[in-house]
Amino acid sequence: MHRPQGLAGFLIEIGLLAGAVLVAFAVGAAAYWGLEAAFTSPQNPEGVPNYLILVTSLLALVPILFLLARRYPWITDWYYLLPGILFILAFTVYPIVLTVYLAFTDYSGLRNGKPDRSTETRVVGHAGRRLELALPADRGLRCRRPGCRGELIELVGSGRRGDFRVEAARGRTLVLTRAPAFPPAYAYRVNAFHFVGFKNFVFIFQNASKALLPVFGWNVVFALLTVLSTALLGGLLGIVLNNPRLPLRNLYRTLLVIPWALPAVITIQVWVALLNKQFGAINRLLGLLGVYPIPWLLDPLWAKAAVLLVNLWLGFPYMMTATLGALSTIPDELYEAARVDGASGLASLRAITLPLLWPPFIPILLSSFAFNFNNFNLIYLLTGGGPPAEGRLSTAQATDILISWAYKTAFRAEGQSAYGLGAAISLVIFAITVGISLVNFRVTGAFREERR
Amino acid sequence: MRRWVLGLLALAGYAGLLRFAGAGVGGLLLDAYQRDRWGEAGLLVMGVLAAAGLARLLGLPGRSGALWVGGLEAANYLLSLALAMARAVTPRPAFGAVFVPFGWRYLVLGYAALALLLLFLSALWVGVKNRLTGRRQSLLAFYGYALLHLFLWSLVLLVFYPVVQIVAASFDPTNNLFSFRRVDSPFLLIRAKVLPDFARVSLANYRALVQGVRVPPYQWGLLGLSAALLLAALLVGAWGRIQDDLKKRELAGRLLFLFAAALFLLVLLVHPGQFHGLGTETKFLLWVRNTLLLSGATGLLAVALTAPAGYAFARFSFPGRYPTLLAFIFVQMFPGFLALIAIYYLLSALDLLNTFTGLLLAYSGGIVSFGSWVYKGYVESLGRSLEEAAYIDGATRFQAFLRIVLPISAPIFVFIFLLQFVATYSEFILANLVLTGVEKWTVGVGLYSFTTGQFQTKWGIFAAASVLGSLPIVLIFYGFQQYFVSGYTAGAVKE
Repeated sequence: MHRPQGLAGFLIEIGLLAGAVLVAFAVGAAAYWGLEAAFTSPQNPEGVPNYLILVTSLLALVPILFLLARRYPWITDWYYLLPGILFILAFTVYPIVLTVYLAFTDYSGLRNGKPDRSTETRVVGHAGRRLELALPADRGLRCRRPGCRGELIELVGSGRRGDFRVEAARGRTLVLTRAPAFPPAYAYRVNAFHFVGFKNFVFIFQNASKALLPVFGWNVVFALLTVLSTALLGGLLGIVLNNPRLPLRNLYRTLLVIPWALPAVITIQVWVALLNKQFGAINRLLGLLGVYPIPWLLDPLWAKAAVLLVNLWLGFPYMMTATLGALSTIPDELYEAARVDGASGLASLRAITLPLLWPPFIPILLSSFAFNFNNFNLIYLLTGGGPPAEGRLSTAQATDILISWAYKTAFRAEGQSAYGLGAAISLVIFAITVGISLVNFRVTGAFREERR
Repeated sequence: MRRWVLGLLALAGYAGLLRFAGAGVGGLLLDAYQRDRWGEAGLLVMGVLAAAGLARLLGLPGRSGALWVGGLEAANYLLSLALAMARAVTPRPAFGAVFVPFGWRYLVLGYAALALLLLFLSALWVGVKNRLTGRRQSLLAFYGYALLHLFLWSLVLLVFYPVVQIVAASFDPTNNLFSFRRVDSPFLLIRAKVLPDFARVSLANYRALVQGVRVPPYQWGLLGLSAALLLAALLVGAWGRIQDDLKKRELAGRLLFLFAAALFLLVLLVHPGQFHGLGTETKFLLWVRNTLLLSGATGLLAVALTAPAGYAFARFSFPGRYPTLLAFIFVQMFPGFLALIAIYYLLSALDLLNTFTGLLLAYSGGIVSFGSWVYKGYVESLGRSLEEAAYIDGATRFQAFLRIVLPISAPIFVFIFLLQFVATYSEFILANLVLTGVEKWTVGVGLYSFTTGQFQTKWGIFAAASVLGSLPIVLIFYGFQQYFVSGYTAGAVKE
């Protein structure tokens, strides 16, 4: 078959690939269910680990792709891209779609969608849709809804399992909405989560003055001031060290780059110790200068200052290096010409260096802003979002930024594992991040030269 | 007169508006910021009067007046901020710490003295040099350079202060954060524990990290082998650079690759059963091993995924190439950890929580785009002649890719690998989420357990662990500095 061109060709080829992947996934899922049925037993109600579905699908994909290439040789162009595309689809795109879905549910630690093994109840008899339990349903399954109506339960028996919905319960008798195809031995209640509409978003916006607005405001101020301070110091150092007549400039460059060379995940935690009020090395140094101990991580205002200072320490080497890189593209002849024309150093700085530094510097500033806007490591490891600020949600304290707020809401005790709410916050961050990136693309025009 | 009053009223209106906006923004951003009402009122009146008077004096129209008020308002805001921060400091020296009242005066005096000394020395040097060479070098320019060096060295000292402190703490067994014991020394700086006390260097903290670790002989052998390979690579590399011999430098590269392979084998062979010490800190080397394993695997996966993708983008012209490229870059805008809740859900549904595989998969989505983009650029810069020659010899397209293009792409693969390696080494949020068992922790997660757990008593051990944990990355960074510098900045400049 001749290779189709244009949009139609693109769609046909994508369609073929998608079909191959879907068929492989179907075959893999069937194989997985086979394995699951073979290995599930009352002693081992979990069966085989679920990730086997990935392995079986992958095993099924290889011969399918081989057959496809025999029929349509030109499809092999895509085989070079397929691994990357599959990983992006599975672990970037799918999680994003999943985030959107979870943001509209009450998925949480208590409602995690898994069968609760502590509600194990023996099934003593069954007929059609009717089950006879060893204990009264309310007590055995500890139903969350009155009379267990609509509750999801998992049944396990003779090597098989399945989820069933309860229609009604009376004493020890359960009536299901459909009859199990196997004799069940045990029943478990599933901690199901539900679609709750815009409830999470309503919560976020109702409590906007307690979390969203102050956190967002500080997030923007934090990212802006970080970019500003690192760009100023780094840019200044870059311009100073770019001077070829300065002796030792390579030594300074090598020495000053040390905060970038150390892994940030470690240095940030070191800073926690250095900024301790009573015993930290910073206050020891300041004590020598006659400064009283500063509550770096204990006072909301000082904590913000500490976050900015530490981020300046961490971030200026990159800006310095970037400035040096950008300056190295300015031809020396320009400076020579300026000197011949009798321009002073300051004049050539203003007329040559700064104007030529700007264009390559803007995307660096923008990407630095985007990075710091979601700089979870710094906030979480340095202050943990604290210290507490009055009138705030317990998950959104004085130095919390949006991403740390989402993380604490979902995974820390004070957030009570409200995954759904955390996903809703993540969606808000997604929207902002995409906005920043689009501005970045617009400014840099990354795609213009690529079209061909 | 009437105009004056009107102008004043207008300015007061500006001021009120700005004040309202300022208070709103201030209250929103900095909740701890409590306004001092009387000081506020005074400053407001002063601001309006000063602005009005200045505007009148300079004959400025209303807009400049507003700018004046705005500037004063901003100054006022910063002043109140500084006051609030000053109020948060208790005027009492820390217990057991060295406190020098008005110590900053000595600092200022010291810098002034240094500046004078430099001026004197510069004058001497320039004078002597001008006398000897007969040229007229400007004293001012030379003195400017001298002051610049003073500034740069001060900055270097400041930047290195945390590093020196942490290294010193790692060698000091009594340095737990809550020790009140004073250091006896004739030197003030050592007494204040600002400079390390070299009289008491001990390896106790490092010993605590390896306590109860059993290393079988074959692992020692592998360690020795990798160390020897590294040493040989460095020596051959240095030799090749001195002689400018390309063959030797290639050999050095090959030796370095063998070193990485030996180290990776060692990392694979270490297992949790070898760690018998009490306390979590004795698992430190296991965390290092976990981190190296994860970072190495992520780097390799990145190369494996991006090499064919970048090649296809560079060389093939299939329908849909441009939209796919666009999609790749678009996806890069989403940092993977933003979808962390979904990733947690996905991994828990796949039974992959607390496994390296799960974490590797969580990273994998985010490592494709950047590398493909970089590799595409590299292949485009190669030129097609080599591949075309291979086609003439009857090679298939895949063979040309495998035999011709891949081998000459080694430098860019090293770059992609190292970038991913370093990034993964420092990754915290997903690792902290996915790896829940002590034996699966990475260095970052393990250190976090020190700072949140019984940190008070383990400050020295924490410091030692930080120093050891940083070493691999510092070595890689300084060893491949050009890669990082050129890679990051070139990418940033070009993109």
